[in-house]
Amino acid sequence: MAPTENDIAIVGFAQTSPDRRTQLTEADLVLHATRAVIADTGLDKSEIGFTVSGSCDYLSGQAFSFVQNTDAYGMVPAINESHVEMDGAWALYEAYVRLLQGDIDVAMAVGVGKNSNSDPSTLYTIEFDPYYLTPLGTDTWSLAALQARALLDSGKATERDFADVVVRNRANAKSNPYAQIKGDYSADELLAADYVRNPLRRHDLPPTTDQAAAIILARGKRAYDFCERPAWITGIDHRIEAHLPTVRKDITTSVSTRLAAQGAGVGKGPIEVAEVHAPFSFQELIVAESLGLDASTEINPSGGALATHAVMVAGIIRMGEAANQIIKNGKNRTLAHSTSGPCLQQNLVCVMEGDQ
Amino acid sequence: MSHQPVAIVGIGQTHHKRKRADVSIAGLVREAAQRALEDANMDWGDIDAVVLGKAPDLFEGVMKPEMYLADALGAVNKPMFRVHTAGSVGGSTGIVGSHLVSSGRHKRVLSVAFEKQSEGNAQFALGGGKGASIGAGGAFAPFIRAYIRRSGAPEDIGWMVAVKDRLNGAKNPYAHLKLADITIDKVKESPMMWDPLHFLESCPSSDGACAVVFTDEDGGKAASKPPAWVLATAMKSEPGWYSGRDAVNPQAAHACAQEIYKTVGITNPREQIDCAELYVPFSWYEPMWLEAHEIAAPGEGWKMTQSGATALDGDFPVNMSGGVLSSNPIGASGLLRFAEAALQVRGLAEDHQVGGANLAIAQAYGANAQFFAMWAVGSSLNPLG
Amino acid sequence: MADTVQEFVFNLTFPFTRTLGSTLSTFSSALAQGQIIGVRTGGRVIAPPLEYDPDSAADSGTDWVRVGPKGTVSTWTWVPEPTNLHPLDHAFGFAFITLDGADTPMLHVVDAGSESAMAAGMRVEASFKAPADCVGRIDDIIAFVPAADPSPSEGAGEPFAAPEENDITEMDAYCDLTYVDNASPTTTMWAKALMEGRIIGQKCPQCERTIVGPRGMCSVCAIELDESHVIDVPDRGVVSNFTIVTPVQYHGQTETEPFVRCSILLDGANAVIAQQEILGITASEVRVGMHVECVWAPANERSVQDIDNRSRGSGGDAIIGWRLTGEPDEPAENYLNRMM
Ligand SMILES: [Zn+2]
Repeated sequence: MAPTENDIAIVGFAQTSPDRRTQLTEADLVLHATRAVIADTGLDKSEIGFTVSGSCDYLSGQAFSFVQNTDAYGMVPAINESHVEMDGAWALYEAYVRLLQGDIDVAMAVGVGKNSNSDPSTLYTIEFDPYYLTPLGTDTWSLAALQARALLDSGKATERDFADVVVRNRANAKSNPYAQIKGDYSADELLAADYVRNPLRRHDLPPTTDQAAAIILARGKRAYDFCERPAWITGIDHRIEAHLPTVRKDITTSVSTRLAAQGAGVGKGPIEVAEVHAPFSFQELIVAESLGLDASTEINPSGGALATHAVMVAGIIRMGEAANQIIKNGKNRTLAHSTSGPCLQQNLVCVMEGDQ
Repeated sequence: MSHQPVAIVGIGQTHHKRKRADVSIAGLVREAAQRALEDANMDWGDIDAVVLGKAPDLFEGVMKPEMYLADALGAVNKPMFRVHTAGSVGGSTGIVGSHLVSSGRHKRVLSVAFEKQSEGNAQFALGGGKGASIGAGGAFAPFIRAYIRRSGAPEDIGWMVAVKDRLNGAKNPYAHLKLADITIDKVKESPMMWDPLHFLESCPSSDGACAVVFTDEDGGKAASKPPAWVLATAMKSEPGWYSGRDAVNPQAAHACAQEIYKTVGITNPREQIDCAELYVPFSWYEPMWLEAHEIAAPGEGWKMTQSGATALDGDFPVNMSGGVLSSNPIGASGLLRFAEAALQVRGLAEDHQVGGANLAIAQAYGANAQFFAMWAVGSSLNPLG
Repeated sequence: MADTVQEFVFNLTFPFTRTLGSTLSTFSSALAQGQIIGVRTGGRVIAPPLEYDPDSAADSGTDWVRVGPKGTVSTWTWVPEPTNLHPLDHAFGFAFITLDGADTPMLHVVDAGSESAMAAGMRVEASFKAPADCVGRIDDIIAFVPAADPSPSEGAGEPFAAPEENDITEMDAYCDLTYVDNASPTTTMWAKALMEGRIIGQKCPQCERTIVGPRGMCSVCAIELDESHVIDVPDRGVVSNFTIVTPVQYHGQTETEPFVRCSILLDGANAVIAQQEILGITASEVRVGMHVECVWAPANERSVQDIDNRSRGSGGDAIIGWRLTGEPDEPAENYLNRMM
């Protein structure tokens, strides 16, 4: 296609190895991811017009933990730079909006999370309503399990359906060198495990991963300088809903995903591949339904968040994987999704297309 | 270019205090946001997207509080975005909000920034939860000592800034500190906190929030009150540490100002800019930023302070609101600077209004004096004619 | 005594205090008296009350409604092994419980004895702490327990008259999180060198700057620095800048008297070590330009236990501090700009 100056594409993606426990710091991980994507695209760092990262202070328990991560950019001379306390998928959204200002044509988005320093069963208690939920030690696994139970009771899915999601993702992950949990499993053997939070078993929960990922975006014709077949972002949107799952009308569906999908124009054509950020197995079912996908869409060929899950990174990796389906795998129209908050409170949807 | 003009049509802030005992965290942000909507003559349903900024979540002990605040800010079913760029975050929150309009993504955007410092303790958070935290003052005192020696400034410059900003704050109904009877002697005799900084040369610890409503050109022209137009934005960063880094006069501070001046067409900042809100948490940062932002020549910033040029009735008023020295809800402090600049060019700053202000700049900085956010706002899209 | 650092455990604890605002104060003050309330807003009763209606963003108002103490479980899960942050020390359930008189459920714990007792539709009843122990926080309700009598709660759905002034306006929120970080390869190199009585830096092959208190990368060039870039730097130098901190008291503060932290430009190395203590003089006697040398702990007393990935120049318990060499001061203006 002949891109206009408002067309923006993903032209490069790199990620670090997804370790259960890295010896490196978050800054080291950012350095490795950004050096890799800069090398892959053949950029010089001085060509990057805007750099933005997503990370979380509480993952390391340090105020301003992202500040030292910016050492990895080599900011001499000074650069245009920003940070979000959100998954790198939202950092990419800020980069996208920044490119639309028209004064720069290349941007880099980064996500990083050294998740192994903290305990997911306790850390996220402070992410929820500080008056009603945190004092009860309300944990992210329990909230997900409450949603899963509601889904079962609605009759829309069974525990076997949950296990089938895990089986498929772990099998898909076998062909992904950046997947942490992979292999051939049967639903029967998975269903024999004990519950961690009824009705969720360990395999229904995300793994703990230390990882960083970086994406290069380019605007207009500049995209072809880095990539033969850029992944053009034809739609991107994100929405949030009420914080407390108890006041949402129906937690077996995701209103915010549906609205973001509409905003991103998902329904304007068939989606060949969708990379869905579902930290809990059953959430893939809810998200796929809310995105309006049908059986023709291949979901999570990478193995998804059940194979590798660094909080603050898993979403931007979905963007990179969906883009690579176009850049490297000949697909024409793909989708990436990212989520945040209790019971899928916030969701981002991005549709990408390749030149035909 | 897809860049669309952006108008600021609503500004709100809380009454800032050491402890806002009358509100929850949601109540605090809501108060500022509600005032901004009223100023804009809008309701919650008119807003297309919300941007929230604050400094580290360790200050209140709530991780990603924008999730819980979605309801209070009317963000349900809308995009909600969270910015965190250290001390410059309030500025970045304004810039990111304005970009959502200038890019054509949204027509009306609400940016909100806050800190409720009284819930926790910033020194604790800055010290990584350990003892012997040097705090922000301890981190910046060496830079200030170097500036004083390098510029040959007399020691009373810091005291003068402390007095001037507090007298301005006394005119601002929202300011935390209203020290109408402050004097040079009182500043000089206040306890030494981080040599050479006295207690009264340092910012307070505040609870507070600030909110700004952005809209597009049509919305700005249709607004019931005069809008402020966003003329230029910039966010520049440099490393916090490298061997030989000049942290007194950071290159990112120069780069930020240069980009703003170039975009607006400013060739003589001191003459062409009517007033400035600069992030001055410790008194000496006024002359330091006047130099690093190329408003004063190198080594001459303190002379602007000394001559009274930066006073409310001077030729280049700085921190008409009373600045960070009068109110410091950390995450909101940057947006308060940005909002005050807009209030000035709207002509709505009441007792702290600079007469005939048509072009104003605002700045915020963060971390090891390494992250800078700045914007220029005007009473029209072309205030320089 | 640790001679190298491998892992460090860090407890992030802090007693936060939350002010409640009028809606939450009304709820808390009633709760401390054993009365659960909701608020009628947008045509439904939300319990516990939210300050703002999630549907309309409107203020929820003050149309208070008595709810509970009995309610019905709509969805549930089971926690077989509670964490230190959970309110019960034995296995329990979390559930959405629609209290009698309310339209939206409340999330709370159910002390049901066993997982098999949990079911959607089960009737449960709030079990409160002793009145003297109630502080108006959501965990004044110890748990919901299976209701002995499933009949509707008395008075549920009736208006609640809030007092003019609420007696509870704040709540304690104790944060208690544990982190376990591990030493990065760069930190490990630094710590090992300290144990050997050496200070090391890493010299960037591109810009030739040396960073002491290594970070494993050059922040100017954005290139990785490893063992091959390590150089020994002198353990003597000149004070190039300093800060005197008057400690304010906070949870976890260890200092009571003013203390000094110095930057020291190391002799001949064109590199600065930051955040160092000067021994033998008072804070007010520290001057830029002073010649100092490192005072090492005896080899058998050195420890680097407190060195973590953010220490960056901290000598741990291997460096006691720096003392004056007695040489005449250098001119301060030659050094002041070298705080880094
Ligand atoms: Zn270098």
